[in-house]
Amino acid sequence: MLNLTDKAWSPYVAGVIIGLLQIPTFLLMSTALGASSSFVTVGAHIASLFDSQVSDVSYLAKHLWGAKNWWQVAVVGGIAVGAFLSMRLSGARRQTISPVWARTIGTSTLSARAPVAFLAGFIMLFGARIAGGCTSGHGISGMAQLSVGSTLAVAAMFAGGILTAALFRRA
Amino acid sequence: MSVLNAILIGLATGIVFGFVLEKSRVFEPGVIVGQMQLKNFLMLKVFLSAVITGLIVLAVMNGMFGVKLSLKPLLYKADMIGGLILGIGIALAGACPGTTLAQIGAGYRDAIFTLVGGIAGAITYGYFDVPIKAFFNEKGEKIGFDQLLGLPFWATAIGLAVILAGVLWAVERWQSWTVETGTDYDGLMGGTVQRDKTAAHLRKI
Repeated sequence: MLNLTDKAWSPYVAGVIIGLLQIPTFLLMSTALGASSSFVTVGAHIASLFDSQVSDVSYLAKHLWGAKNWWQVAVVGGIAVGAFLSMRLSGARRQTISPVWARTIGTSTLSARAPVAFLAGFIMLFGARIAGGCTSGHGISGMAQLSVGSTLAVAAMFAGGILTAALFRRA
Repeated sequence: MSVLNAILIGLATGIVFGFVLEKSRVFEPGVIVGQMQLKNFLMLKVFLSAVITGLIVLAVMNGMFGVKLSLKPLLYKADMIGGLILGIGIALAGACPGTTLAQIGAGYRDAIFTLVGGIAGAITYGYFDVPIKAFFNEKGEKIGFDQLLGLPFWATAIGLAVILAGVLWAVERWQSWTVETGTDYDGLMGGTVQRDKTAAHLRKI
């Protein structure tokens, strides 16, 4: 049986629950689950603090306001809350950084890891915005709608990830 | 839909999403890097179960109740090049955009830098959207495999769901998820503690 205080649930149960989240999303928001465009909404507001012309940059401007944009920011913020609650219930507290980094790229301190993480985040979102979606929007949602473009983007995503991780030491 | 209602729905959705991302351990950098090294298949298991469920949910909602789909257009160059860059970032981050937030919630400090980098990347893309789109020069159609095959959406979706379920069954038979979570639930198979102890012991002798 599933217990809220368990440290691990079956990946199949988790996947089914994530898939069921498409029901309220399609019915109430008329859209599919996604995550990466929320980074543009938050980024556009941060940019507007420094650049009064943001509303002239059409891509940033169209992400500034509106129910769908703020819905996705709330989803992504909610992910942090949900993960925090689950971690507190199970007691699976994490170290400062994952031990996988010491094993694969020899990084064991936060100060050594931080610049890599920043650069990784930058590359990740820059790529996601070129492709127009990430693991959620193209992956979980696009493939569930049989989208040819999303399937291509997911294949490319795994290809990029596999080629990069092949340069690391084995986890 | 008011923005406030949208935010409340989003928060509720996100909390459930984040809760199961943490419970399944798929948010762990060890799981994501392990998947990209084709060693740990937990990410594929969560991912494909979500796709299979979504296929069935949408087959019913679209096929029986006429709920409209929300496809993204097929843009060959943008999908392939953007996807490749995204994949490089995922391997280096040990996260995808959504799981970055789960890592922050679960206590990984480096994920805060991934988030800040991600926001910087999104802003930068925003300023270069026009020249990038002009460079790719693509106009895409919202096309699904069901249209390519000339079959109804619901039938194609259920067909693919069955095939993907078969793939998952085979992968699980080959390697159980209970091994893949790792002894410390960090996705490091063979156990961090055990392996590091062995390594320290080997260095001594």
